[in-house]
Amino acid sequence: MDFELSDEQQLIIDNVRRFVREEIRPLEADLDPDAFHLRPEDDERLTQMTKDMGLYQMDVPEEYGGPGVDTVTRTLVAEEMSQHRAGLYAPSYGVFGQGPQAQLYNANEEQKEKYLWPTIRGEKSGFFGLSEPSGGSDPARAIQTRGVRDGDEWVINGGKLWNSGADTADYGIVYVRTDPSKGRQGITAFIVDTDTPGFRVERLVQVLRAHYTTELSFTDMRISNDNVLGEEGGGFALANDYLARNRIPYSAAGIGVATYAHEMAIDWAKQRVTFGEPLASRQAIQWMLVDNEIDLRTSRWACLAAADKAERGLPFRFESSMAKLVSTEGAGRVVDRCMQIMGGLGMSKDLPMERWYRELRIRRIGEGPSEVQRIVMARDLLNIGSGSR
Amino acid sequence: MRIRKEWTEWDDTLDAKSIPGAMGVYELADEDQRTLYIGKASGKSPFGLRGELFRHFSTSDRLARENWDHPRMGEDLPSVRGRARFYRFEVNHNYYSRWIEILTRYREDHEVLPPGNLEDPEPLPRLGRYHWKSEDAERGL
Repeated sequence: MDFELSDEQQLIIDNVRRFVREEIRPLEADLDPDAFHLRPEDDERLTQMTKDMGLYQMDVPEEYGGPGVDTVTRTLVAEEMSQHRAGLYAPSYGVFGQGPQAQLYNANEEQKEKYLWPTIRGEKSGFFGLSEPSGGSDPARAIQTRGVRDGDEWVINGGKLWNSGADTADYGIVYVRTDPSKGRQGITAFIVDTDTPGFRVERLVQVLRAHYTTELSFTDMRISNDNVLGEEGGGFALANDYLARNRIPYSAAGIGVATYAHEMAIDWAKQRVTFGEPLASRQAIQWMLVDNEIDLRTSRWACLAAADKAERGLPFRFESSMAKLVSTEGAGRVVDRCMQIMGGLGMSKDLPMERWYRELRIRRIGEGPSEVQRIVMARDLLNIGSGSR
Repeated sequence: MRIRKEWTEWDDTLDAKSIPGAMGVYELADEDQRTLYIGKASGKSPFGLRGELFRHFSTSDRLARENWDHPRMGEDLPSVRGRARFYRFEVNHNYYSRWIEILTRYREDHEVLPPGNLEDPEPLPRLGRYHWKSEDAERGL
């Protein structure tokens, strides 16, 4: 495996790095410390800049109008575009564009016209409805939301939990048990318009970071059979490859904020004097910084190894899970050490450190907790289930 | 949901220290306890909720006496200045998302934002929908 960057990759990285440092970071001085939106005029201006750079919607496949950036480059870019205060959950405040949920690439032509293309054009947004109060890591068994066929429609009753963006979305992809006798094969994905009678956002669920998810309820919600996404009973077969691929750049975002925190801690350690000597002269601090560097490099290599295998068409499920686990846990340790080095300043809202500390804790749970990633890897190691290394 | 606390009438002789200097969210209301403004004391608010409430209710003289300064003091929100009589607040570290939640709930119930928020130069984030109205709406609050 060769980690040397091509000229094109280096150019993209340099452009994104400069963009984040010169365009994004200065704006944050005037934003709320927990903000995850830019002012509308800045959002519009910077979005136009990323379009002009040819780097808009990098996660959209080329055949759908994306710029055709490979997974390795997207992973490197993800690390760069998150190096600012809001970067972990709002990398560059979304001005690089966000693609649709990958499952929509499995939609039929009519559904693509109604949902996929408007989403790519930024006219519509969707949410993902999988987890329920009964669980999220084992959805095939946990889903209790029921769909019963009634002529050309389905009548759906139940609810979902932890759905980010459902309150502002135009539609959602909702997983429903349509045949209780078939287990995993009895789950069907539906595209649900949020203005459908019976659809309710019960509450916004506040969490550790300054964002929220939603709790949804569906009461006798009637959905046309035309809105079944993919095959009936084939909900879990949708877009697995896209989803696993997207998990790699997602993992790299954690490395980005941790890298920024590490740089701040190094600067601080050099200039902060205690008992007559800079912090950087203390072995305790030096070792923390070295441990940071080890965590960062290990995480970066894990992500790039996964991206490289994905790009070469090799099985990468093990590597993708490993990248997610290693990078989220490693980044959490790095920011924790940086806060320790920076003392009181690290805890204050004057710096982004405390925000990253809270957000990185969530990262170990969201998108599959560390324990589930270990289960996935163990299945491959032990050759249990359908996995292969 | 909205802030679930009783309204308190503003008293300008109030000991400033009785209001926490922490981050959080607050509502201001007129004499009929109808909400005029939904605000937040962010990580950048000098003196937290205390500073925010005083900037709306109190005079610059009082702030000067307290040796405070607020970057938004004197900002003109005509619906609030001189009309606000009651307040309620909630200390909340997640002031930003909680602020969005309260604004979203209010707008869904009333189909419009509080008058002070419409005048506020601070841009609002995109607000979502619940697709149902709360009991507050039924009671005209």
